[in-house]
Amino acid sequence: MKSPFAYQPRPRPLQLASPGAAVAYLGAIVAVAFLYSNPLVLVAAGVAAVTAGLLAGARRAVEFALKMGLSLALLIVVVNALVVSRGETVLARLGDWPLLGRVDVTLEAIVAGLSGGLRAAVAMIAAAVYSACVDPDRVLRVLRPLAGRSALTATLVSRLVPVAAADAVRLRDAAQLRGPAAAPVGKAPLARRLLAGSLDRAVDVAATLELRGYSLDAPPARARRRRSRYDRRFYAVAAAVLVAAIAGKALGADDFQTYPTVEIGLGPATLALSVLVALSGLAPLRRRSVSSLFGMGEQSRHAEVARV
Amino acid sequence: MSELAIRRGAAPALAVRGLGYAYPHSARPALEDVSLEVAPGEFVLLAGRSASGKSTLLKAACGLVPHFHGGEIEGEVRVADLDAIVAGPGELAAAVGYLAQDPETQVVSTTVAAEIELPLEMRGDEPADRARAVEEVALALAIPHLLDRTVDTLSGGELQRVALAAALVTRPRLILLDEPTSQLDPVAGDELIWLLRRLNEEWGVAVLLAEHRLERCLAAADRVVAMEAGGISFDGPPADFLAWASDADPALETPAARLFSLAGIDPLPVGVRDARQTLRGMGVGHPPQPAIRRVPDPHPSDPALEAKNLWVELDRGEDLRDVLKGIDLTIRRGERVALMGRNGAGKSTLLRTAAGLYEPVAGKIAVNSIALLTQNPGDYLVRERVGDELLGEQGMVALRVLGLEDKIDADPRDLSGGERQRLALAIALAGRMEGEHLPGVVALDEPTRGMDHARKDDLVGLIGDLAERAAAVVVATHDVEFASAFADRVVLLGDGVVIADGPTEEILSGGWYFATEVARVLDLPGVVTPEQGAAALAEERR
Repeated sequence: MKSPFAYQPRPRPLQLASPGAAVAYLGAIVAVAFLYSNPLVLVAAGVAAVTAGLLAGARRAVEFALKMGLSLALLIVVVNALVVSRGETVLARLGDWPLLGRVDVTLEAIVAGLSGGLRAAVAMIAAAVYSACVDPDRVLRVLRPLAGRSALTATLVSRLVPVAAADAVRLRDAAQLRGPAAAPVGKAPLARRLLAGSLDRAVDVAATLELRGYSLDAPPARARRRRSRYDRRFYAVAAAVLVAAIAGKALGADDFQTYPTVEIGLGPATLALSVLVALSGLAPLRRRSVSSLFGMGEQSRHAEVARV
Repeated sequence: MSELAIRRGAAPALAVRGLGYAYPHSARPALEDVSLEVAPGEFVLLAGRSASGKSTLLKAACGLVPHFHGGEIEGEVRVADLDAIVAGPGELAAAVGYLAQDPETQVVSTTVAAEIELPLEMRGDEPADRARAVEEVALALAIPHLLDRTVDTLSGGELQRVALAAALVTRPRLILLDEPTSQLDPVAGDELIWLLRRLNEEWGVAVLLAEHRLERCLAAADRVVAMEAGGISFDGPPADFLAWASDADPALETPAARLFSLAGIDPLPVGVRDARQTLRGMGVGHPPQPAIRRVPDPHPSDPALEAKNLWVELDRGEDLRDVLKGIDLTIRRGERVALMGRNGAGKSTLLRTAAGLYEPVAGKIAVNSIALLTQNPGDYLVRERVGDELLGEQGMVALRVLGLEDKIDADPRDLSGGERQRLALAIALAGRMEGEHLPGVVALDEPTRGMDHARKDDLVGLIGDLAERAAAVVVATHDVEFASAFADRVVLLGDGVVIADGPTEEILSGGWYFATEVARVLDLPGVVTPEQGAAALAEERR
């Protein structure tokens, strides 16, 4: 089964944009999440990341990232509630716990945990959208002249990860198919076998790289310029989001305090910034051509791929 | 020598003189005193049993030996006048392309276009030159529609073509292929061989192809080189090779050649067309059609596997797909069944569903205990001693049934390929037998990949033993000749449905791709093996 986070080429603006433009755009959303603690702004950044992923066709990646991100957010909330006893609004007194000592669950600790959890979830969703929508070959091509060895390592890893994942599935199936009187396969022998198999695979992949001329000392090839009419849009949205985020910070849009009591600022600057950040998720929107409305969508899709 | 002179074919595409090579820590050399020349534009078939040195010779010709594998080398290897022992594989890449057996490990990029472009980029070619070269090679291999796809969405045949495109994009003078069809179905395998022939004729690319299934490619070759124990045992035209093989190594004979040998017809044919022409020249038209042998139902009341309206849906990444679509199938104890069909037809899915790895979404499947050996027997071997893989008396019974009781203290890695396969089967059988009685179904998924003829004969014997012990033996395979040797029934799947089911002689003589070479020569219903064909020819002569 293919990983939901694996890159899938689609004729959508985010996939057609250059890696720089896509990274700038998704990076701006993540930057907002790390600059701000206000839950409203964080929710807006999350909405932007989810919308961008859905418009780019990465539904499965978004769904998986949402599940993982929200699970992580929940974990952060629980851990924060148990280990931090600051805050005036005590919701539950859980007595003395080993290692943790006296545990008082406060509303403030829960909200602080929620803020941190939302930040992690936004970063996770944006990373999933990046992984599913940005062509790793193009990214490696950009990196290769700057850091050849790192690009080589990344190439090997990017190829070996899916191969090792497939090997792991096969080994797990074979372990299931062993007869009842065969020695059971524990995790350690299985992991050892997977590692040995991965090393063999790595040797094969390294041989292929050698045959493709990776070890040649040729002058770095000029990148093939692939035009995309969407680059400007993504750069512009990224710049607008970053400028607004920095300006908003100066204007007090991140008005948020957790201790001793929760105070969430919902002033005009916060609301305006939240709306702008949430709307930035529409950047990968593709204008529907008139022809697609008359059932020629498939043709126009192919034409678009051909143009790019 | 100038590049222009090389391109015009002034130098041989490959010249090997007195080549000897031993892998690091190896007790005996893999190659001994090998001398060989491949002319520009020549199509040479490399024949020989497993471990005869074919793969090592190919690796020496592309520089992987000794540059990547190490070891000790002597003699001379020149590729388009470049010294392959001095130059590394990267430098040789402009002159020689290499394609190995497993396409999975021969791709290093995410998308097809990037994979094909990579060698040119490494060479520092200009963007415009790269764009044109990628387009041209994609057109030559009929894969322009794949350029925007990611490599993990491709079938085995498509992936093999992409790897071939990456090997050809630098326009090498020589292409080396190591059993490229071993993982392909008959359709994709034949397409690849004829694609190579076309490249050879139109682009003038010299081809050196190592292959076990000689019947698939002998007719395309200009010359055959046979290897044995690291040396060359024969070098000559295909027709002479067949005459040599019938005396020196009958395991290398093609089915059509064996048919002619048994029938006492000369000369031996290098392909189906050749065989038909010879027969026509002899006035052999339509030998009498033998009656198709109907296999008696061994245990009519005891089905070992029964599928009724079986539907299986699998997640193929982006969406769910029905892989099996309402299969109805009954297999009884003692039957030897070949499960055939294109890559992706549903063969492995059917076996895996029977073994409980997949759940049906509709319908049902009832199996009277099954032992399944998947495509990679090595996946079952996780310990360093054969005896440690199996427990107690039941484990020992399984080893005994598979004839491995004397290997109990061996390291599985030291076993031969056939022994490893038997050990993996013993692991799957262990505890599923009552005494020495086998489970209802023993299933093997593509067990002949990369096997030479001798090992296939051993496997046919093993399948016969298992069936005699009243197990239904079900083998998913692409190898029609192997199926004709072991099976008494063939079930042909097409896109998740059973499209043909009947006696082997009927199914494998009634088509073109899923037909044996003898069936294609004689075109007689019910005649699929050389022995049956020779008997039919003898009947007509009488």
